[in-house]
Amino acid sequence: MAARNSERSFGWVTRALHWATALGVLGMLPLGVYVARMEVGYSNLWLFGLHKSIGVTIFALLAVRIVWHVVSPPPPSLPSDVAWKDQAAKWVHRAFYVLLAVAPLSGWVGSGATGLDVLVFNRITLPPLAPVSEAWETTAFGVHWVVTKLLAACAIVHIAGALTRRDGTLARMVKG
Amino acid sequence: MVVFWLCTWDEGSMYCFMRNFFCSVLVWVIALSAGNAAPLSYTLDKGASRVGFEVSFGPDQITGELPVQSAEITLDFQQVANSSVAVVLDVGNAKANFPFATQALRGPKVLDTTRFPTISFVSTEIQVLPDAPSKARMSGEITIRDTTRPITLGAELFRPADRALGERERLIVQLSGAVSRAAFGATGWSDLVGDTVALDLMLQIDLAE
Repeated sequence: MAARNSERSFGWVTRALHWATALGVLGMLPLGVYVARMEVGYSNLWLFGLHKSIGVTIFALLAVRIVWHVVSPPPPSLPSDVAWKDQAAKWVHRAFYVLLAVAPLSGWVGSGATGLDVLVFNRITLPPLAPVSEAWETTAFGVHWVVTKLLAACAIVHIAGALTRRDGTLARMVKG
Repeated sequence: MVVFWLCTWDEGSMYCFMRNFFCSVLVWVIALSAGNAAPLSYTLDKGASRVGFEVSFGPDQITGELPVQSAEITLDFQQVANSSVAVVLDVGNAKANFPFATQALRGPKVLDTTRFPTISFVSTEIQVLPDAPSKARMSGEITIRDTTRPITLGAELFRPADRALGERERLIVQLSGAVSRAAFGATGWSDLVGDTVALDLMLQIDLAE
């Protein structure tokens, strides 16, 4: 089982990064909605920390993925017979990179702007990315809200595409 | 004539530890004593004084303490109306019962302690309650975040357990009341934390020499 990507297949590092990110995103979207709507008290305060911790992890996975893909470029997408599907796949992939960066960063900026520490895994305090400011907080969390909805939309399109294609796209992300 | 009232110390009080230091014998200031005709000045024992607060947090309560920075207390045991209380709280060292709440409390969205390091209270009127002579109503002005608003506090005066009846060298003043965060612009996290903050001041004071 090769770690590096080849011209036709994904190595295990890329696949692991993909599935770990997928797991994180698919867990975070409902968690984020729940955290935003729950009545906060002592019993569920830890969910904020969990949300931030997973978000930072997804951001770290993205950074590792970008570096890894410079080291070991992924194979090109398999062409379908429908041009718009190929275009859609290309743009969804590009959007993922942007959204997977902006979603955690906007959350980080907004959290820091509240004046509270951004504590991940209950151990590491991240430095604030913005001054303590209501304007920064409102803007950052507004961006976070929009970006996470776009991320959910991209995830739906991505999963739908993967499940409907019959050209081995999903299989090579599973098996290499 | 010296008059004393007996009262039971509140079992639910957040200042349970106080029970170790003084009994529940009340020596409210309407007690009359020929030997104390003039108003008496008292100094604060910071170490033995506490100011607690409590505010709702969803289904729970956030509690904490605000250190007392200074207090000027004068008690007139003949003319209660001549008594006065002025208290300054050091909110820069305020503590809540969990770290994020402490940070939020001190931060710019609530007390903004960098800009407004103190909370102050000055009494303007003290009235003994006619139907409960062991208690008084203390009107005054409280300043939070540079905003001054009127406030009315409940007041009681206690004598430590190890002190003899009639002794006034060491006393404990309890003041209790509530403030609205919104009235002072301390509105941070209003979606999570309640607006009404209950305050409970326990000031141990010693007669100035």
